[in-house]
Amino acid sequence: MEDYVIEMLHITKEFPGIIANDDITLQLKRGEIHALLGENGAGKSTLMSVLFGLYTPEKGVIKKDGKEVKITNPNDATDLGIGMVHQHFMLVEIFSVLDNIILGSEPSKFGFLTKAEARKKVLDLSNKYNLKVDPDAIIEDITVGMQQRVEILKMLYRDNDILIFDEPTAVLTPQEIEELMKIMKNLAAEGKSILFITHKLNEIMEVADRCSILRKGKYIGTVDVKNTTKEELSSMMVGRNVKFAVDKAEAKPAEEVLKVENVCVKSKLHSNDSVHNVSFNVRAGEIVCIAGIDGNGQTEFVGALTGLDDISSGKITLCGEDITNKSIRFKNTHGMSHIPEDRHKHGLVLNYTLQENMILQRYFEPVFSNKGLLKKAEMRKYSDKLSEEFDVRSGQGADTIVRAMSGGNQQKAIIAREMDREHKLLIAVQPTRGLDVGAIETIHKEIVKERDAGNAILLVSLELDEVMNLSDRILVMYEGEIVGEVDPKTTTLQELGLYMSGAKRNTGKEA
Amino acid sequence: MKENTSIFKKPGFQTLLASVLCAVLGIILGYIILLFMNPEHAAEGMFAILRNFFKFAGNQKKLMNAMGSIFVKSVPVILCAEAILFAYKTGLFNIGCAGQYTVGIIASLYTALALHWSWILCVLSAILAGALWGAICGFFKAYCNVNEVIAGIMLNWIALYVCNIILGNKTVMNTTKSETYPVKDASLLPAFLSEFFGKNKYMTIAVPLTIIIAIAILWVLNQTTFGYELKATGHSKDAAKYAGMNAKRNIILSLVISGAIAGMAAGLYYLTGIEHYKIASSVPGMGFSGIAVAFLGGLHPIGTIFAGLFVTYITQGGQYLNTNYYNPQVADLMIAIIIYLCGFVLFFKTIINKPKKIVTTTSSDNNAADKTADKKEV
Amino acid sequence: MALLIQYTLIFSAVLILVALGGMFSERSGIINLGLEGIMVFGAMAGAMVMVLLPADSSKFKIITLTLLASALAGMVSSLLIAVACINFNADQTLIGTALNMLATAAATVIIKAFNTARSGGSDFSAKLDYIKGHDAFMFSVGPLQLSWFVVVAAVLLVIAIVVFYKTKFALRLRACGEHPQAADSVGINVYKMRYSGVIISGFLAGVGGIIYIAAANSTWHFDYGVAGAGFLSLAVMIFGQWKPERIAWSAILFAVFRSLSNVYMGIGFLQALPISGTVYNIMPYVISLLVLAFTSKNSRAPKAEGIPYDKGQR
Repeated sequence: MEDYVIEMLHITKEFPGIIANDDITLQLKRGEIHALLGENGAGKSTLMSVLFGLYTPEKGVIKKDGKEVKITNPNDATDLGIGMVHQHFMLVEIFSVLDNIILGSEPSKFGFLTKAEARKKVLDLSNKYNLKVDPDAIIEDITVGMQQRVEILKMLYRDNDILIFDEPTAVLTPQEIEELMKIMKNLAAEGKSILFITHKLNEIMEVADRCSILRKGKYIGTVDVKNTTKEELSSMMVGRNVKFAVDKAEAKPAEEVLKVENVCVKSKLHSNDSVHNVSFNVRAGEIVCIAGIDGNGQTEFVGALTGLDDISSGKITLCGEDITNKSIRFKNTHGMSHIPEDRHKHGLVLNYTLQENMILQRYFEPVFSNKGLLKKAEMRKYSDKLSEEFDVRSGQGADTIVRAMSGGNQQKAIIAREMDREHKLLIAVQPTRGLDVGAIETIHKEIVKERDAGNAILLVSLELDEVMNLSDRILVMYEGEIVGEVDPKTTTLQELGLYMSGAKRNTGKEA
Repeated sequence: MKENTSIFKKPGFQTLLASVLCAVLGIILGYIILLFMNPEHAAEGMFAILRNFFKFAGNQKKLMNAMGSIFVKSVPVILCAEAILFAYKTGLFNIGCAGQYTVGIIASLYTALALHWSWILCVLSAILAGALWGAICGFFKAYCNVNEVIAGIMLNWIALYVCNIILGNKTVMNTTKSETYPVKDASLLPAFLSEFFGKNKYMTIAVPLTIIIAIAILWVLNQTTFGYELKATGHSKDAAKYAGMNAKRNIILSLVISGAIAGMAAGLYYLTGIEHYKIASSVPGMGFSGIAVAFLGGLHPIGTIFAGLFVTYITQGGQYLNTNYYNPQVADLMIAIIIYLCGFVLFFKTIINKPKKIVTTTSSDNNAADKTADKKEV
Repeated sequence: MALLIQYTLIFSAVLILVALGGMFSERSGIINLGLEGIMVFGAMAGAMVMVLLPADSSKFKIITLTLLASALAGMVSSLLIAVACINFNADQTLIGTALNMLATAAATVIIKAFNTARSGGSDFSAKLDYIKGHDAFMFSVGPLQLSWFVVVAAVLLVIAIVVFYKTKFALRLRACGEHPQAADSVGINVYKMRYSGVIISGFLAGVGGIIYIAAANSTWHFDYGVAGAGFLSLAVMIFGQWKPERIAWSAILFAVFRSLSNVYMGIGFLQALPISGTVYNIMPYVISLLVLAFTSKNSRAPKAEGIPYDKGQR
């Protein structure tokens, strides 16, 4: 009989339309570091939310030390000694390190804080586990790495012995990652059990004892890390079956449309660049894809490219014209179309009608306005025309409030708008995110049609199937840099997985 | 406009229903207050407020005169509400409307009483003064990141004290009565249907102008590219940025226009001669009542007209109470309760909307998200 | 000069208490624009108690009961904000404005009814006389006429500073105003903390209200409300960067200006200046506006203030 501290047995959690966790079993041994590996949307976060009491599963049981337990809210989890370092830190920025650690479990006498003993306990813990922090420093003044140490101390202060790390390295620099790995090993050596959610293979190989793999909501298997290879893990993570192929002819790349030279973007979270020295080009008639795991600088890069965010250095040329520091309006009217990553935040004014959204960047053009007056009839005609062409379905046609439309139709409306606008370059960021199979297929077809019409397409995607099927060239982005360029016809998912997790790079540049 | 969906599902109808619910609840609570104060005469008192000037039903001239007064008195509150509504559509809470109204009073009365300008110039200067005050607020918001509510509150009080200094001047103020002199004929607004409204001499072009302004606002918001931009910015700052719109320019412009309307409200009221400015120790309540009317009117330019009339009607209704049992401020209290209830409109809408609950939650989530974005700039 | 000090002390007391009230509310995440209204309710309740207490009541009794009534009225009226903004996610600006209007109207109605009933129908005014209550609060130190109100305010200020920096409660309260999700994740009940913040603001603003009307006056017309003292306190709070000791200093600064406008006639060199008393009234607002303009880029306003907290959103 193995000594399992936590067992999640046959967990099934459904959301309307999808099964996020389908009969998943996860067993955590005392004192081990157990990695949970999977792509975006594989069900890792859902599973951890179940363990932390945020969701109640439809089926399955959770056992602590062999006894069945009910976890219905985060407080239950805390009582059972389960602590979590959230991906987005739960720290009060203007508080000191010490105040953040004790918040919620403050030692006090008659309501007055007795910080002296808390300080001693924190310093002891910090020495014991080599978690260097200054208890009096203010959170907003310290590095992200140190903030993470505060989060870890928060768990230790509460005497938690099951520690969940949710993508802890996403925001750290390589040096900080190295340090975190050491800390995690230390913690395990002291008898803490660790669940480590990640999709970076190098880190798993370095630190984990065992690794469970999830794919598309299903449990794939658990392996001993010392008996496995990165290649094996990678293939378990992405799987071999490709869902649907896209019909497309050979690309016929023509002239260069977009040229990106040494673009850097400063990070809002830490002192390093979130995008570093990115250079590439996109030609007319080809689909270039930026692949990579979420949070490796894609969003920031697209922000700099389109003007939603500031660029710190580098040069962007569109059709021979330097657009580096031009306004969004200028880019919109000089050949750039953009299907944004977040359609609710950027792509649509949700309280506007379909026809109003269809002219979002064009309302001032003579087609739709005359001396500052909107041409309502033209708007309607245009909206109806696009809806017809792109099969956008809505309850009340042009007058439908976009908020009331389904996600797929909202996305199709954006795609219709962006493709119909005069442009030479289409930037499509996760164009099929959260859509059903039917909608995905339509959108893929439209993108290929767009390419065949002689436009340049820059696709940014997290979905490996999409990357492999749609693109003519693949650039892999890892920690803000392009670490490899591969040909989708000759590469494999496994190879791609290695690039994406930072295990391999092929550009001539120094790492 | 389109008849193809159930009327209950239409947002416009729901807003109307929520506003009516607020009004009815307010009246019921008002009745309960009357009951507390004097149970015997509560029904009679409520009846007096609601019947209002219709008690003159037998006397055509008096009836029309009283009705005219309601129109005249609702002009400033409706215009203030329009000002607030206009800014609100751009995502700005123009609490500084009260101050913009106050500088409008300064400009219109000073030009009328000290400079003896003709009415049209007086109104124009009121508009300009309000616009300037709005521009200051907009400048602080756009370039210094000062929250428009806080800047507005400060500017309100600055406006009040400036007003007391300027209008406290001996040329415009009768210092013995500590109120401004009556406005001379040349500076008074031209009469409008004054005969029809029982020779109500305060019945001026202010009333039709107000309706024209409301329609103009509706038109600007719905028919022009400018309105399209402002509303897009108000609904979603991020989407507006994505579309290439200029947020700073829109913030300032929207507050300038809002201020201009508030300034005009003051001009169109004080230049009828119906009221004199008295040295005050607090900011004129008109701007705040405007907030209430705007919300009660469902933030719709035309709905606001009716809300403004309703509020004035009830306030004036207080005058018809039998002072032996009640005092007229009961009506103000009822209005205040109704405004407070307006805060629950979102909640009322959710109730009306039960089956479509998911849609409303996402909308409120989104509002919260919008607000988060706003807050970061404070 | 003694008069100037006297007025400054009284205005400081008012501004400190009300601004501290605003601070506790905003620190919990709720913007309280209804301070003005809460002050009116507090002032009204306190004044009514002073009028109602029999003439031979001891000073101690008058002082305690008056303060208690004001604080209680303030707390009850602040619940109007708490319920709407915490449970129903109402717009905090709208609700604050509504409360201000509600307070003035309600106070006028109530005082008029109160007077009518007491006078048997001969007095319909919204004015209360409470000269003996006012006197109960006065005591002299040398040439200075002081008020117990100032002492009360000083004590409350010290308590507020201690609570704010030294207690578990304040730590949790501040966490709710900065990062409610973080507070929730460590088991703190955000709704409860926000209720506490708003109710404390009601307590302090209620007491501030009675001081405002009773420390320097012995009659008050309730149809005037409290003439913007609540809004001025809001300015004091921002000027004080949401910190109690800084609020105290800003309150004194603002109070000096405010007092100058009342007493500059009595001070030779100021009277000689061609400046109207009103100018001194404007100064605090102009100063805070300018300070805000220069500091807002890195303002220390509680991060989550004004945003309704929804437990579902994580």
